Amino acid sequence: MTLESINVARPRAYPPRMSAFTQPFWEGLKAGQWQSTCCEACGKHTFPPKPVCPHCWSDRMAWKDLSSRGTLYSWTRIHSAPKVFVDEAPYAVCVVDLDMGLRIATRLVAREGKAFQCGMPVELVVLQFEDGPLLASRPL
Amino acid sequence: MTRRVAIVGTSAIPVGRHQTRADEPLQVLEQEIMTRLVVQAVQDAGVEKKDIGSLVLTLPRPYTMQKYFSTFLVSHLRLNCTGSVLEVMGNGMTAAVCFDRACDEILLGRTDVALALGINMEAATPAAEHAMSSMRTTGDVDFHASSGFIPISWYAMDAMRYMHEYGATREHFAAVAVKNRWHASMNPLAQFRKPITLEETLAQRQIVEPLGLYDVPGRSDGAACLVLASEEVAKSLGRPYAIVRGRGFCHDGSHQINEVPNDMTELIAAKEASATAYKQAGVTANDIDVAEFYAPCTPVEVLVSEAVGFFGRGEGAPAAAEGQTKVGGRIPISTSGGLTSRGHPAYVTSLYNYCEIADQLRGRAGERQVKDARLGLTTGELGNYNAALVHVLEAQR
Repeated sequence: MTLESINVARPRAYPPRMSAFTQPFWEGLKAGQWQSTCCEACGKHTFPPKPVCPHCWSDRMAWKDLSSRGTLYSWTRIHSAPKVFVDEAPYAVCVVDLDMGLRIATRLVAREGKAFQCGMPVELVVLQFEDGPLLASRPL
Repeated sequence: MTRRVAIVGTSAIPVGRHQTRADEPLQVLEQEIMTRLVVQAVQDAGVEKKDIGSLVLTLPRPYTMQKYFSTFLVSHLRLNCTGSVLEVMGNGMTAAVCFDRACDEILLGRTDVALALGINMEAATPAAEHAMSSMRTTGDVDFHASSGFIPISWYAMDAMRYMHEYGATREHFAAVAVKNRWHASMNPLAQFRKPITLEETLAQRQIVEPLGLYDVPGRSDGAACLVLASEEVAKSLGRPYAIVRGRGFCHDGSHQINEVPNDMTELIAAKEASATAYKQAGVTANDIDVAEFYAPCTPVEVLVSEAVGFFGRGEGAPAAAEGQTKVGGRIPISTSGGLTSRGHPAYVTSLYNYCEIADQLRGRAGERQVKDARLGLTTGELGNYNAALVHVLEAQR
């Protein structure tokens, strides 16, 4: 499933580092692909992607697509931001429980007419900055 | 008989702004503060210089110019240590680990007297600049910091979730801020001592929703020194002391969030660590007379008060609003003023918490003294309470 992209006319304020291992994630995300590692030994998904399964310590990890919908577990809006994020403040971030049973934390972007509320359904989207992508959640 | 450890002496500078800007002609030097504090704490304890066999220091902030500060400080004191000299780091848990490691020196028989001490200088560094460093301490630097998460944003999300599940309100959290400011007004070591009202607290600008300025810690410098001794030495000194009766630690295996969805506001590590500490002490939560939590934001104090068993789930917020956690209430919490009002010089914060519990248990907390305080509880933490270190201490007078 391809995530919806939202263009952002600026570079990322604090760009993530990419390793040879996480390169497929970041390059996939740029194309709207939402994937992370899944352990072939115990079947558990993990995010962020990892070369060793945190559950059973197997290194047989494969890239798998993840569900793009979930529930807003919690959120906050940050008014007091670090130096590089001051221009973007206030901005919202959140914890989301994906339908497939994985908890992640992302930036939270608005949808017209939908106030952020714990328990509301959300979908994942990609913020396409000038220099690369970031994952975000948005109310459905 | 199993060895036991006691706090026999304490000293601290008032929490506040001590760090000098780099362009100021006269600089505040950390060793000048620390040597004075060591002498004060040792006098308070009644031990002698030659008795001190171990020194455990909290890692100074990167803003402290002098590196390898522990060994540098030993030279200023000409201590001849045969136990250990080291600096410890555990993010927010740094000072709790410092205390714990100094206890170990005595429990292992390496020395009969140990110092647990440290200094945290950061307040002259602008908040937005300091945040560039602190945002790398929580979550994943590549997958979370890149989206702008900061340490207190995780506590704010705890608050949001807790409000959603239990109907707690901003007023409940604000009541914690007001209560702690009242405690701080009676504590000469506290940074913010002017009493505040509920209305003033609710009217402050937002920092991380739903938390406003008075719900979160300010910027603080601080320094403190504890003198720890074996029970045998503590008894021989003929002064009141606080003995460590129980200790518990738990890391829940996650960092900020658990990727396997759990009850985030349960603070499972604090729950388990306190259960271990109570068991070791042979007491229950109901026996505790006074508690000093590592609770950087007002809702954290509420969540910890439930996790350590003082209140049932969802009951901590209304209980705080009813005054059950203030001096004179059922279970006084943060009698020092807590992290929001006593102040939060992060790497030494827990040292101040032990100072407060020792003052309470030694019966010298002045106006904020909890009557007949016999058992005290302290917590240290890191992450979003993903790890907790809990101690139960008892008064010996």
